Amino acid sequence: MPLSADYIVRETTTNLWRNRLMTIAAVLTVAVSLALVGAALLLKQGAANAEVDWQRGVQVTVWMKPTASTSETNAVRSELKQLPYVHGCAFWSQTQDYHEASKLLPASEFSALTVSSTPSSIRCTPNQPQYATAVYDRFVHQPGVYAVGSPNSAIHAMEETITILQWVFVSVALVLLLSAGVLILNTIRMAIFARRREVSVMKLVGATNWFIRLPFMSEGLVQGLIGSAAAAAIVLGLHALLNGLANPDQPGSVLSQMRLSGWQLFSTDAVVVVIGVLIGSIGSAVAIRRFLEV
Amino acid sequence: MIRFENVTKVYKSGTVAVRNVSLDIQKGEFVFIVGPSGSGKTTCIRMLLREELPDRGRIWVAGREIIHMPKWRVPYLRRNVGCVFQDFRLLPNKTVFQNVAFALEVIGRPKSVVETQVPQVLDLVGLAKKRDNLPGELSGGEQQRVAIARAFVNRPLILLADEPTGNLDPGTSQGIMRLLDRINRTGTTVVIATHDAALVDWMRRRVVELDQGTVVRDQARGVYGIDAATGPVPRTEVAARRS
Repeated sequence: MPLSADYIVRETTTNLWRNRLMTIAAVLTVAVSLALVGAALLLKQGAANAEVDWQRGVQVTVWMKPTASTSETNAVRSELKQLPYVHGCAFWSQTQDYHEASKLLPASEFSALTVSSTPSSIRCTPNQPQYATAVYDRFVHQPGVYAVGSPNSAIHAMEETITILQWVFVSVALVLLLSAGVLILNTIRMAIFARRREVSVMKLVGATNWFIRLPFMSEGLVQGLIGSAAAAAIVLGLHALLNGLANPDQPGSVLSQMRLSGWQLFSTDAVVVVIGVLIGSIGSAVAIRRFLEV
Repeated sequence: MIRFENVTKVYKSGTVAVRNVSLDIQKGEFVFIVGPSGSGKTTCIRMLLREELPDRGRIWVAGREIIHMPKWRVPYLRRNVGCVFQDFRLLPNKTVFQNVAFALEVIGRPKSVVETQVPQVLDLVGLAKKRDNLPGELSGGEQQRVAIARAFVNRPLILLADEPTGNLDPGTSQGIMRLLDRINRTGTTVVIATHDAALVDWMRRRVVELDQGTVVRDQARGVYGIDAATGPVPRTEVAARRS
C-alpha cells in the first residue's frame, strides 16, 4: 500500500500537537542530555588538541645541589649528552639561575636567596615527551643532583581532571538520555491511547501494520530530532563562547590550546544528532511494540 | 464465498464458543446467524475477520483459507470484508464524510477515488445532506448508516454485521435492513448476526441458528424461531431450495 508523505506529516503533526506538553518535556530532556554529551565530546577533543601543544615544549631540568662539585656536575652533563633520547641540553650556571629567579620569585622569597645558595641546572629537551620520565628516573638519585623537574606531572594532573570531568558529563548525560527515552516512550504510549478508536477502525478496514505504526514511529523520531537539533545549537553556542573567551594575544592560554577545528565541531554535532534520532526511534519502537497491537 | 469446515473455538476459560461448525455461504447470499447471547454468533464474525483463530477446523473467506494466512496478509483480507457493529465505532471528531473517507485513505486510495466514492455511498445510505455533520449530531439509525457506508465504501465482497440493530428502535431497524438488502442486491454477500426476531421474521432470508456453539438449524427462508407451518428445514435441503 502506498504510504504518502503527506499522510505521515499530517498525522505526526496532529499527534505532536495533541500531546504538546509531553512533547515539550521530551524534547527539552533530549536537548539537555545531548548538550551534555556534546560538551563532553568538545572537552575530550579540546584536551587532545591542547595535550599536543603542552607536550611539544616539554623540557626536563636537572637541578644540581649548590654544594655539588664540578666533577659531579660534569658527570651528569656528559651522561645526559650521551643519552640517545635526549635531543640537546643547556647548562645554566648558578648566576644565570639566580637572575632568572629574580624575575620569577616574589621579592620576599628572593631576598633569602644568594648566588651561592642557588642551584645550577642542566635543561634538556627529550626527543619524545614521554622520555622525560626516563630522564627523571635516571638522575633523581644521582650524586650532586638536587631535583629533576618535569612538567609531565602537571600535564597528567590536568588530563586526569579533564577525564574525571568527561566521565561526570557522560554519566549525567546517560541518565538524562535514559529519561529522555522513557519520556518519548510515554508520549507515544499516550498518543496510542488517545488514538485507540482510530487504530481499531484502521485495523477493521484493512490498514497495514506499517500504515498504523509509521505516524507513531515518526513522532518519536521528530522529538529526538528536534531535541538533538537544539543540543547541536547549544554545542555551537558553547564553542563560540569559549572561542570568544580565549585571548588571541595569549596563544599559550589553555582555551587557545583547546581550540577545535571546524571538522571536529561538525563531527561532534553530527554525533549529537545521530544519538538524538536513535533515542527517539528506540523510544517509539519500544512503545509501539509494547502498547500497539496490530 | 464463506466456508466453515468443522470449526471449533474454545476460549482460555474453557468456554466452548463454537463446536464443530460446518457452513457454506455462497456469493451474493443474505444470511442471518441467530441464537441467544453466548451461542457463538459474535465468535463466528470475529473468526471471519481473523480477530480470533479457531482451535480446530478451517475457514475460507473470499476463496482464501484464512487460518494459515500470514499475519501481514490479514489487512488485505479485511479490505474484502466490510464490518458493522452494534456500537457503530465512528470517530467522534470526524465528520460523516471524513469517517467514510477514512476507510479509503488508510488503505491508500488516491484522493480522486475518495472524492468520487464517498459521495456515492453517502447517497446510497441517504446521508448526502449530512456529510458535514459530526456523529454526535446524528440519530442512532443515521450513525449506523454512516457505519454501513464506511464498511461498504470500498465495495467489499462480504459485509458482516454484528447486531447492527441492537441499539435501534424497530422502525429504524427496518430501515437499516432495507439498506443492507439494497447492498446485497449489488452482489455483496451479507451475513448478519442478530437476535432481533422481528427483523429476521420480516426479512425471510436464510437463517443459521446457533445454540451453545452448535448449528441447530439452517433454513433457506427462515424465521427466528422454528417455523410452525413448515418446521425446520434440514441443511441438506437448503442448497436445493436456494437453487
